[in-house]
Amino acid sequence: MFSSRTRFVLTALFITTLTFVIMDLRGGQGPFTSFRSAMSGAVGGGEQVGSLIFSPFLGVADWWGTWGDQRERIAGLTAENDELRLLVERSEADRARAEQLDGLLRVAGVGRYEIVAAEVIAVGPAQEFAWTVTIDAGNADGIQRDMSVINGQGLVGRVQSVTKNTATVVLLVDASISVGARVAGSSEIGILSGTGRQDSLEFQMIDPGSGLDPGESLVTFGSKRGRPYSPGIPIGEVVSVSGTAGQLTRIATIRPFADVSTLGVVGVVIRPPREDPRDSVLPDAPRAPTASTLPSIILPSPTPLASVFASPTPSASATATPSGSPAPSQEVERAATPEPATGRSN
Amino acid sequence: MWGRQTVLCTILVFAALVTQQSFLTRLGLPGATPDLLLVTVLTLAFAYGPLTGAVVGFGAGMALDFAPSTAGPIGVAGLIFMVIGFIAGAAIDPRDRNPPVLIGIIGLSCGAFVIAFAAIASILGEVRVDWEQVPTLLLTATLYGGLLGLAVVPVVSILVGKITPEAVL
Repeated sequence: MFSSRTRFVLTALFITTLTFVIMDLRGGQGPFTSFRSAMSGAVGGGEQVGSLIFSPFLGVADWWGTWGDQRERIAGLTAENDELRLLVERSEADRARAEQLDGLLRVAGVGRYEIVAAEVIAVGPAQEFAWTVTIDAGNADGIQRDMSVINGQGLVGRVQSVTKNTATVVLLVDASISVGARVAGSSEIGILSGTGRQDSLEFQMIDPGSGLDPGESLVTFGSKRGRPYSPGIPIGEVVSVSGTAGQLTRIATIRPFADVSTLGVVGVVIRPPREDPRDSVLPDAPRAPTASTLPSIILPSPTPLASVFASPTPSASATATPSGSPAPSQEVERAATPEPATGRSN
Repeated sequence: MWGRQTVLCTILVFAALVTQQSFLTRLGLPGATPDLLLVTVLTLAFAYGPLTGAVVGFGAGMALDFAPSTAGPIGVAGLIFMVIGFIAGAAIDPRDRNPPVLIGIIGLSCGAFVIAFAAIASILGEVRVDWEQVPTLLLTATLYGGLLGLAVVPVVSILVGKITPEAVL
């Protein structure tokens, strides 16, 4: 039916895709790793440029969300010239970005996380079910695999792979994610899994005998050496609990603090805090006295902390660096042992 | 002709990929993401026939698989795009183009991608596939695909006619 050349090309392409699928399924560091990294780098570069071009227009989604209110505003804006309108959009985007950065600095300051700020530049399509985003910071900024990603509200996800200037972040709500979590104010721990839905996570308690009520908050339990998850990052609050105390499995539905559909500025935790911040980072929890003046640039704490370098580039990158000695390694037992008195109430 | 055709296809595919990943996915539209990349592949397949359709589909799908903002199994989008590009190129005679038919094929192809991706990813043991979301994704992907087609087909057709006038169009 088709010429032999067509058949040959089709067969060759088919075999190539199958090879990629199989190599990818085997996992680990296959021979395609460097090729893959180069390809990601090329597309990532394009995504960075694209993000710059499109960022003024992302507000369009909000117009569609509240069409009635915005119609008057659009009418008003059309009176002005295009250049002015673009300028307004730009400054609004910048202000929103600055607010997000403030929130991020608050979380990083209270929790003493050393972070690299980055901006989301691309998002994976919904058709592929994975909740992943690209951020505009990579190897060159000190980001490595399996680092926690946070924003001003709480945990966002973890770094899955890194190229020189971009990194791929798997979001908390992705179905492949599971995080060790602790109920704030207690030592009850459990495993939190993404469901692939934007607004719900599943939390399974290790000790089914303990109580859990809607409204309670969860924070990360922390992994060894803080990777992939640093301790004490707010995750979300309990919406509902299924099953009664004592049942074999109790599963709670959690609403994440971070809204993954409107991510802008995020922070990658490149070094976890020296000691578990426990519940101090939670939005309503009493804060450590040293952090009450945030968002200040330099914190009046015993160890000098958080010097911030904000670069004037539109990509808004900033680094918060503790100038003290490197943090000792974090151990998992931390969450079970009471913290020495530091003036914080849990 | 081959040189200019290759350059045109490469530029269009890359532009579509970047626009989709940096802009369309971030609009937060309900359901699926408008699949600009697939619509572009289909339009090029309509213009240049099944062989080019398959090759462009392969390249575009692989680029999507390797894009740092996606995390699906590598090669799956490449495979599906290739097959869709081939079928679309074979189904349409470039000299006998009927716009409603083209838009219909584009919409259906975008829907077919959702089902094909979910099926293949499930077979490969991908834990993320959530079949409860598939009907919504299917409907919205078909709708967005058709709407995008209305805009993309004329633009790409003009470009194809200008840059490679030898192509039967």
